[in-house]
Amino acid sequence: MKNSISHIKNSLRGKKISVEELYDEFFTKAKSSKTNSFNLLLDKEINIQSIKESQKRYENGNPLPLDGIPLGIKDLFCTKGIRTTASSKILSNFTPDYESFITQKLLDDGSIFIGKNNCDEFAMGSSNETSFFGPVKNPWKNKNVPTDDLVPGGSSGGSAAAVAEGTCVASMGTDTGGSIRQPASLCGIVGLKPTFGSCSRWGIVAFASSLDQAGPLTNSVEDAALILNSINKHDFNDSTSSNHVREDYLYGINDKLDQKIKIGIPSDYLKDVSGDILSQIENTKKALFKHNVEFVDVEFKTTEYALSTYYILAPAEASSNLARYDGIRYGVREEGKTLDDIYLNSRTRGFGDEVTRRILIGAYVLSAGYYDAYYRQAQKVRRLIKDDFQRIFNDVDFILTPTTPNEAFKIGDKLDPISMYKNDIYTVPTSLAGLPGISIPSGLSTNGLPLGIQFIGNYFEEKKLLQIAALAEKELNFNEQ
Amino acid sequence: MSEIDIKRISYLAKLKLPHEKEEFYANSLKDIIKWVDNLKMIDTSETEPLHNVTEKTTSIRNDEIIKINSVDDVLSNAPDRAQNFFKVPKVVE
Repeated sequence: MKNSISHIKNSLRGKKISVEELYDEFFTKAKSSKTNSFNLLLDKEINIQSIKESQKRYENGNPLPLDGIPLGIKDLFCTKGIRTTASSKILSNFTPDYESFITQKLLDDGSIFIGKNNCDEFAMGSSNETSFFGPVKNPWKNKNVPTDDLVPGGSSGGSAAAVAEGTCVASMGTDTGGSIRQPASLCGIVGLKPTFGSCSRWGIVAFASSLDQAGPLTNSVEDAALILNSINKHDFNDSTSSNHVREDYLYGINDKLDQKIKIGIPSDYLKDVSGDILSQIENTKKALFKHNVEFVDVEFKTTEYALSTYYILAPAEASSNLARYDGIRYGVREEGKTLDDIYLNSRTRGFGDEVTRRILIGAYVLSAGYYDAYYRQAQKVRRLIKDDFQRIFNDVDFILTPTTPNEAFKIGDKLDPISMYKNDIYTVPTSLAGLPGISIPSGLSTNGLPLGIQFIGNYFEEKKLLQIAALAEKELNFNEQ
Repeated sequence: MSEIDIKRISYLAKLKLPHEKEEFYANSLKDIIKWVDNLKMIDTSETEPLHNVTEKTTSIRNDEIIKINSVDDVLSNAPDRAQNFFKVPKVVE
């Protein structure tokens, strides 16, 4: 594939292009892009030292796994000396003095950051419309209404749009309830959310700490595996970071399946879906049928409760995490006569509508008299959701679902928050259970827009998950459509 | 479901909602709380709350001091500072 990391590395090794020329090529394209997918682009001068060092390693014949690869980084990862805003007004002047664990690992493996990707404010949104820096436009157009600007999905919408339009080779995103997989699906690329606890949250602006997980948005499953190799490491700075032994996710990714694979398709997920969405599942079944794959119907008992559970737990955690933004130590301070006035003014003027709404929901469900009825009850239902997945994984290797219930919609079309929240119906349950999920592009809708399918794996089984996704990717052949 | 006291909730969240937006947020909150109310129908009397999905993975490091930044680093983003301190309006008379 033309823009895959391995293809680009081959060109760099074969001296068809230099690291500097590669950077220039992506930078120039990003600079002239109209999608608003970057909050900040890094001029070559800032990266010149890394570019030269990377070039030297190619010349010496010992390049690192991601050497010279221009990456986008969701503007939620703290990057040392580089402005990090979470797409919020309240952090619009914040320059971290430390590097997040994930971005440090990406730098250690030779990649070069081209810029910080736009996202929903504090990663709260499913359309990238809540960003303080304005909405991101999906590079895809509805062929029947080509004048409409469409959303890229969210919250990692800038990341997805940038990869889809080719202004970075891959991007690092985060996923709390679908924020990697959903925009990947709406932009026709690959998005992987690893098992909760795989990739350290240290240095990522926190949204909901029991759900947040970093992962790559890429052009191919192979690229996702390569990046996962760099970032999937134990970290003592994140107390929920798992210390299990990691595998080489790239090695053997295209090997033939040596045993029969059983994939469950949740019939309750497919009730009332459009023909376009249904055909993604049917096409995947057909494509994998010849590969020793058996499909069975499975049924969840908890699907109808997943969104409610999520929209209690995530705002509750957010209201607690966002209590730190008070205008005192960092971020934008609004003036006030008293200390209390500074807190109130900085927070009220610093947060946008959706973030304010979620802080209020969180404060409500955690408040005296409501804590047990909402927050504690949601935590209990979360266990039932997890158990429900485990019951199904006793019988199957993977679960296959659509990634989203619809194609990319028009910017400004969904004004009601609940109809927006329903966009994450297929991704939220996986997040609540903490399981790994990957979205790959599977086909086009009747309007010519990309649609995706999601494979869900069991805990820490990313290697198997990437193998089945790579096989489906090859068979569905989306990029050649 | 009881009425939502938006003034109390915004006070708890340290937010001062503009008067003209109070109703907007109150209605929005009411809709969402009504929407999530279906959880009350589930019997969870025998279920423990789930705090961390990968319950067995919590790892704890030795409590060793590592110096990773200076006072100046920490204060570099301060909206206002005085010597080595964050500066705020006087709180004690």
